[in-house]
Amino acid sequence: MAKNVLLVDDSSTMRKIVGRSLRQAGLDFGEIFEAADGLEALEVLEKEAVDIVLSDINMPNMNGIEFLREKSGRDGIKDIPVFMISTETGDDIIGEAKSLGAVGALKKPFTPDKVNEVLGPFM
Amino acid sequence: MEDFSDIIPKIVDATQEIFTGMVMMEISLDGDPIAEVGTMKNSITGMIGLAGIRKGMLAVHFPNSLALAITTSFLGMEVEEMNEDVQDAIGEIANMLGGNVKTILSDKGRDIQLSLPSTISGEEYTFMSQNEVDQIVLPFKAAAGVFFVELELER
Repeated sequence: MAKNVLLVDDSSTMRKIVGRSLRQAGLDFGEIFEAADGLEALEVLEKEAVDIVLSDINMPNMNGIEFLREKSGRDGIKDIPVFMISTETGDDIIGEAKSLGAVGALKKPFTPDKVNEVLGPFM
Repeated sequence: MEDFSDIIPKIVDATQEIFTGMVMMEISLDGDPIAEVGTMKNSITGMIGLAGIRKGMLAVHFPNSLALAITTSFLGMEVEEMNEDVQDAIGEIANMLGGNVKTILSDKGRDIQLSLPSTISGEEYTFMSQNEVDQIVLPFKAAAGVFFVELELER
């Protein structure tokens, strides 16, 4: 069954590019929801049927790490898988993200082929 | 003085990776590094701050015509005026390059933090650094014009 995706990035350009890359990668997904930071993402997760989250790390208001931490404490949404999509893919920050439940990471810049390779198994 | 000789090829690679992989635009280095960009006319600058074990700033300077071409290519739709989409796209390029520079300057990006990106634009503005920084400006050319990648590092 096609999965609904939530894209979390403060850059509207990047949200459009990630959405386009999902389509170009030929991945089977349903509806795409968008959020500009972690706070908005939590609101969307509480209201919509989201199957997988693709989130930036460096964002205003609530960054990707804070978002993971907050989400992990909320029963209804804590098990929804989160993928980090960020320029920040150092071992320490990705290690912290994974310790908070992130299932993987995709480094910007990326190509549709890379999106397919990394996200394909989760879609 | 900062020795940029090891850093320059990595910044060139990162810039080309971003443009060919995500902007879908071919670019190449346009001559030797220069000391400063000076006064910008009808341009937009995206910048991001570095803090931690290395402090400084990464900036990308584009003439409006090239910024419009980049945003058009980025979004896959025609963008004809300098609007929020252009600011967002140029800020994101600064963000991606900043992430690469962070990794270049510190082992796996450890111990350096990035600010959020910001942009400035206008008919004429001057981009100047303080005395206590070393800087390098790399000129690149694309079909739609020449742009600059600037790195400033506190001594």
